[in-house]
Amino acid sequence: MRRAFLAVAVLVVLLAGLASAQTPRRGGILRAGLDADPPNMDPHQSIAAVDRQVFQNRYDKLVDVNQNLEIVPMLATSWTISNNGRTYTFRLRPNVVFHDGTPFNAEAVRYNFERMLDRSFASPRRSEILLVEKVTVVDPQTVQIDLEKPFSPFLSVLSDRAGMMVSPTAARRLGRDFAREPVGTGPYRFVEKRPQERIVLERFDRHWDRSAGYVDRILYRPFADEQSRLANLLAGELDIINIPPATEVPNLKKDARVKMLEREGLGWQGVWLMVNGTPFNNRALRQALNASIDRRTLARVVFGEVVTPANGPFPPGLLGHDSGPNNRIPERNLDLARAKLREGGQPNGFSFTLKIVPGRQEQQVGQIIQSMAGEVGIRVNLEIVEFGTMLSQISPPNHRFEAARLGWSGRPDPDGNIYGFFVTGGGLNNSNYSNPRLDSLLDAARILTTADLRRRAYADIMNILNEDLPYMFLWWPKDYKPMSPKLQGFVHVSDGMMRFRNVWLNP
Amino acid sequence: MTRYLTQRLLLTIPVLFLVSIIVFTLINLIPGDPALLMAGGEAGQDVVEALRKQMGLDRPLVVRYAIWLGRVVRGDLGKSVRDGRPVLDVLRLKLPVTIQLAAISLLVSWCIAIPAGIVAAWKRRSVVDYTATTVALAGVSIPNFWLGIMLLYLFAVNLRWLPPSGYVEPWVNPIRSLERMVLPATVLGTALAALVMRLLRSSMLEVLGTEYVRTAQAKGLADRRVITRHALRNALIPVVTVMGLQLGGLLGGAVITETIFAVPGIGQLAVQSILTRDYPMVQGVVLFSAVAIVFVNLSVDIIYSLLDPRIRLVEARS
Repeated sequence: MRRAFLAVAVLVVLLAGLASAQTPRRGGILRAGLDADPPNMDPHQSIAAVDRQVFQNRYDKLVDVNQNLEIVPMLATSWTISNNGRTYTFRLRPNVVFHDGTPFNAEAVRYNFERMLDRSFASPRRSEILLVEKVTVVDPQTVQIDLEKPFSPFLSVLSDRAGMMVSPTAARRLGRDFAREPVGTGPYRFVEKRPQERIVLERFDRHWDRSAGYVDRILYRPFADEQSRLANLLAGELDIINIPPATEVPNLKKDARVKMLEREGLGWQGVWLMVNGTPFNNRALRQALNASIDRRTLARVVFGEVVTPANGPFPPGLLGHDSGPNNRIPERNLDLARAKLREGGQPNGFSFTLKIVPGRQEQQVGQIIQSMAGEVGIRVNLEIVEFGTMLSQISPPNHRFEAARLGWSGRPDPDGNIYGFFVTGGGLNNSNYSNPRLDSLLDAARILTTADLRRRAYADIMNILNEDLPYMFLWWPKDYKPMSPKLQGFVHVSDGMMRFRNVWLNP
Repeated sequence: MTRYLTQRLLLTIPVLFLVSIIVFTLINLIPGDPALLMAGGEAGQDVVEALRKQMGLDRPLVVRYAIWLGRVVRGDLGKSVRDGRPVLDVLRLKLPVTIQLAAISLLVSWCIAIPAGIVAAWKRRSVVDYTATTVALAGVSIPNFWLGIMLLYLFAVNLRWLPPSGYVEPWVNPIRSLERMVLPATVLGTALAALVMRLLRSSMLEVLGTEYVRTAQAKGLADRRVITRHALRNALIPVVTVMGLQLGGLLGGAVITETIFAVPGIGQLAVQSILTRDYPMVQGVVLFSAVAIVFVNLSVDIIYSLLDPRIRLVEARS
């Protein structure tokens, strides 16, 4: 009897301890280390990926994605899709106010779309929501958005910057200067930003989710140097960092000082092949180069365990991953490479220039491609080009390159990982590739509403793409978040965004 | 003296004018389109064109320069293309950081170099001399990024004696401000010290061989007095020149050290602005650096005349 009592007592104590570890604590300052200084604080002007890290906590979006990349409510509590996928009707959350006291309602949503679509405002969001034809205020809590044609990735687009709602009062007053005094509805409001030094956010007490926002303040600090970013975490100066040095990942997994979260990422990496100029206007030569590359070895040697070999734009976890050849990683085949060289009329090989951006790993990738291709007589000249220069050289309409090593950070809907890159005249179609059959398939995949049908469309697309090879997909990066064990409640989503509204700090 | 100063100050105007033309031309020669970098690859051509227009990039270079110059004369350095922040505001934010880091780094450098240089010259070809020379060689050879990361791991991660990064204004909290300066200033200071020490040593050796030093010794003056009063003062002239150059360099920003220790100074600002093709910001930074170097040179000239009264500051006559 006594023993049983003791056991129960122990159990109670244990459970209490467990509960206290799991009970969110309020207070404290959360210090996050970013990989770069966020340039612009207006979601409708922002282009840098790192901006989005800060936005997650300062803005609410119409919808969000959960860990399974499913669309979940945020500012919109529910929605219906009608008119063959052309009309979206959103029911908006009541009693939501912006940080400046402006009420959030259907009128605010209408203003936000107007702002993004305004040609003179030149928002990078414009192209993402270009299909929006009309935004109608049905009643203060209901907004209806009509699209020109069905667009199944629409909700996914609204789970990112295009769905972040800014205060109409502030945006009208400030115009482009809104970037310096941003006002959203998120659980944290903007306090200050000092370039290359810090961004400070403070809990917004009138946020609609009363339980959100456990920490009092969030302090973001940029660390351009990855080793220094990590050292600051290890020294206890930061609570969490974005993008650890790839070479340190195996050590960090064993390090008791940090809690390391790992998830498959959403992006893809590889090499652009310019199909509108020599030598790669010759498809057989593209196929020859592709057959000479050993993706598994390349990934393992340069990155170790932090990437997965790839053969398409859909990493594990994204819809479309199992579509056609996307996840069938080809074996290296030197005989095929030589046969393709003969077919392309260059039996003794050919030479081309591969542009890479600066960085140790980028150089290693370039050198490995150089040596692998060299075995069949393809001579690769490496040219290191600074990122901004690379972007302007390879982007449409310039296309001034033969091959270029550049990838994509990824989006939660497969469309965002493929459409603009390979559709004729697409804004990201660096290789100037054009295939009417692929265009119609890409458009079809945007209209199809069930996952199964879209998967099938993407399988057809991948069969064509991996035959035509305007891009050689090589690896999919994983996403890592090293953090202090004190940081609790962090939910790691593949998009790599640090969502802090439900995290807290244990003492 | 006043006339001399006025003349020198007036001379800086054509210098700055020339610098601004060179910078304006050079940054526009760099490949890369700021509008494209701002809009990102996803944006359509129309968005990029609209941005180019907003940034005034659709106008010819000469017109853009004239507009910029007209504004600078009125004290307006323009706005950052990243988020419209006035360039002057950002410079004002970075200035105290860079000046503080430069000053402390120089101080560290002098504390090491001056005693070491004197002793190495005085005890020439002794163990002290060889040790100082070896250490100096190491100081010059060790790259800043390596020393920085090593000190960071040793003192901030493992021993936890010092904070690893950041900046606190001295008027907010002088102690915490100084703590954060120790590591970066040490990295910068040791590299600078090496050169100063070697220079001071050879300069001292030369002076120690002169007749007036021998006379002083013959008079029976104490070694200490001979060195500090007679030798050092004269040996310092070439050294001051180098120190001036070093200070000018530091005020232009210590990019690598600032990056490793996340010191938000001019160097990081310059690199970020170049990478994002933030033309107005780059021009502002370079203009500031040019002004800083001109003024440091002027100060060096004045210090010469204080060290050696034979050197007079005379205005040029035509």
